[in-house]
Amino acid sequence: MTGTLPLLRFLLRRERRGLPWWLLGVTLLVLVQSGQSQNLYGSAEALQRLRQTLDANNAAIAMNGPTRLLESIGGEIVFEIFTFASIVIALMNMFLVGRHTRADEESGRAELIRSARIGRHAPLGAALLLAGLADVAAGLLVFTVAAGTGLPVAGSVLFGAAIAAVGVVFAALTAVAAQVFENARAVYGSVALLLGAAFALRAAGDVGSGALSWASPIGWGQRTYPYAGDRWWPLLLSLGVAGLLGVAALVLLARRDFGAGLVPARPGRATASAVLGNVSGLAWRQQRGALAGWAAGLGLLGIAYGSIGDSIAQYVRDNPNVAQFLPGGAADVVDSYLALTAGLSALLAAAYGVTSVLRIRAEETSGRADAVLATSTSRWTWLAGQLSVALAGTGLTLIAFGLGEGAAYGAAVSDPGQVPRLIGVALAYLPAVWLIVGATVLAVGWAPRPAAAVAWVVIAYCTVVAVFADSFDLPGWSRRASPFVHTPRVPFDDVAVTPLLVLSLLAAALIAAGYAGLRRRDIGY
Amino acid sequence: MSMPGEAAIAITALHKSFGAAKALDGLDLSVAAGEVHGFLGPNGSGKTTTIRVLLGLLRPDSGEVRMLGGDPWRDAVDLNARLAYVPGDVILWPGITGGEVIDLLGRLRGGINRRRRDELLEQFDLDPRKKARTYSKGNRQKVALVAALASDAELLLLDEPTSGLDPLMESAFQRCIHEVKRQGRTVLLSSHILAEAEALCDRVSIIRLGRTVESGTLSELRHLTRTSIAVETASPATGIEALPGVHDAIVEDHHARFDVDTAQLDAVVRRLAPLGVRSMTSSPPTLEELFLRHYGDEETAS
Repeated sequence: MTGTLPLLRFLLRRERRGLPWWLLGVTLLVLVQSGQSQNLYGSAEALQRLRQTLDANNAAIAMNGPTRLLESIGGEIVFEIFTFASIVIALMNMFLVGRHTRADEESGRAELIRSARIGRHAPLGAALLLAGLADVAAGLLVFTVAAGTGLPVAGSVLFGAAIAAVGVVFAALTAVAAQVFENARAVYGSVALLLGAAFALRAAGDVGSGALSWASPIGWGQRTYPYAGDRWWPLLLSLGVAGLLGVAALVLLARRDFGAGLVPARPGRATASAVLGNVSGLAWRQQRGALAGWAAGLGLLGIAYGSIGDSIAQYVRDNPNVAQFLPGGAADVVDSYLALTAGLSALLAAAYGVTSVLRIRAEETSGRADAVLATSTSRWTWLAGQLSVALAGTGLTLIAFGLGEGAAYGAAVSDPGQVPRLIGVALAYLPAVWLIVGATVLAVGWAPRPAAAVAWVVIAYCTVVAVFADSFDLPGWSRRASPFVHTPRVPFDDVAVTPLLVLSLLAAALIAAGYAGLRRRDIGY
Repeated sequence: MSMPGEAAIAITALHKSFGAAKALDGLDLSVAAGEVHGFLGPNGSGKTTTIRVLLGLLRPDSGEVRMLGGDPWRDAVDLNARLAYVPGDVILWPGITGGEVIDLLGRLRGGINRRRRDELLEQFDLDPRKKARTYSKGNRQKVALVAALASDAELLLLDEPTSGLDPLMESAFQRCIHEVKRQGRTVLLSSHILAEAEALCDRVSIIRLGRTVESGTLSELRHLTRTSIAVETASPATGIEALPGVHDAIVEDHHARFDVDTAQLDAVVRRLAPLGVRSMTSSPPTLEELFLRHYGDEETAS
């Protein structure tokens, strides 16, 4: 273990730009949820009614957790945010440990470190300590935010500790996976699969007898019941399992060669399949993983929103102050709720579109674009190949959202027809999303260096308009600058073809203008 | 498009700046069809920028650029169909195997000679089934080389293609270039290793700070080079330092150490022979030394 502490200092330095964002994300999740929940369900009666509604809603329980948490307003906050915060903290730990163990070994960076006076176990030890420190920090932040927004102190300590405990388990799981697999992708893939299993097990357990929830680290965290009984001992289960897994990882490390895994990597194809025969085939191959991730995320979000669609009318009758957040007010509550959620999913789909278009810039700056453009591939063919992913991918993410929301809502109201209906609702936003894609292409074409900043500012602007326009009392012209405002709020509004057509044409014009810029400038600068 | 006898590449007074930085400052380059042309210069002298102009990736600020009878900026797609390119720093797509990259680039060029591809994989001892991220620099370079050499391109643009290869692979590379030359194809080979240029090139152009400083056959450029000689003689080696073309001589009775202009090498060796040469080592001139000596200022030392 010689050298663990100097290495830990080095890792903290390497993480100084990335880690704060993860911690900020978890903090914001809890902060926003605490404010929102205390506004909506602040009174004992409101909470009581919510519990009655949700006790009968299996979809909501599967997404969130056991309704026993709804004993107090603090427990309600834990109920709403714990699974999401767990997923974020688990991913943070997966990347922290994976990046500084297997990924470094694969890239050869670790070899340089190991050649110094550093023990064999030191890099893994330092990565686990780093993850532990990050988890403690996340726990402290959750505690501070919870207690700071007026929740009981004892429950807040337990809330923070339970979140940190989920993180520690996934750090240790990643450490084991990093010994088993030879490349970092396989490590991330296997841990993400386990995270999905942890979510699914606790969902099934919470809906059923509860037994399956005890097989999931997220379930252990929820069963500490912060603010709803404050049970401490499930934390020992998390820490014990994490400790055993950590020791297992250290033992496995000593049984393998540097750079090798316990499971050797499978060799890839020696020749390219027919799919990898042109630029769009290459672009899809490069981006299929990210697209699948975004589509799965939006699909899950759709399930989450759809699962409470049926309860929303009841909510609004019980809590009239919610109505002000819905475009249609108290009348036609469900449709305006569905329109609102579809609008939010469109912002996320647009964010995906931006990441996909910015890949064009990454291809350029990495030098990989040179290899393609040095063949008889025109700049238009190259751009179109990359754009095909962004244009079709945004559609697929919206379909995934509509599918999730339609399936969950349709199951609640026993109407399978909701699936095609809500897919259609989500797709109504596609022209507006394409317009954002077009704006990003324009930036990449004419202002390649600040393109990423420009695109994210556009997304941020549209988000502010969509979410805060009324609270900030923004003037009309500033709202109309967002393409999403011009999309009819289906199913609350009727479908209008003209604005959708205009948005699509504008998107096409922006793409054409962006191409004109790309065609006349140097590649890579 | 190109007329018989027309130069494969003809560049005159090419200028290219990136902001305030001048990358090319009036570069001239002429490559005849069918020749292997060495493109020599220290790092940062503008070799890569020139090649990227030829690929149509960069728009020239001013100057005349012709390649295979066309304008590389305007006719990039048509011209690039007739050339193959190996970048100096090969960056591949992670998660895609070397074999897949070779096939993809081949298809983008409009076809690949499968038999030659397999031969080349064997010659370069490259495993095509490994994911690109796990390849070393040398192996990534081999991927790009196999992709380029397996094509039927009439012009090869090679940007320091051997910088990551071991000596064994370098000789495999040299055999391939001789083969390419026999087929009458044209090669522009950028390098900062003079020995490689000597082994392969019909003519060379030497550039520095974005400008061509010398161009010609290697024997025409001999006057630029010096050979370092260390010799032990039976009779005292006095008087060596006074010979024409001898520089930096250190003579201690039976031992002498000096540099000699390549043009004067023969005369100096004739003077040494009667002294009774017991041992002699000579090291060939390096491009780095040539630059330090001939254009000697600190900017060329990089």
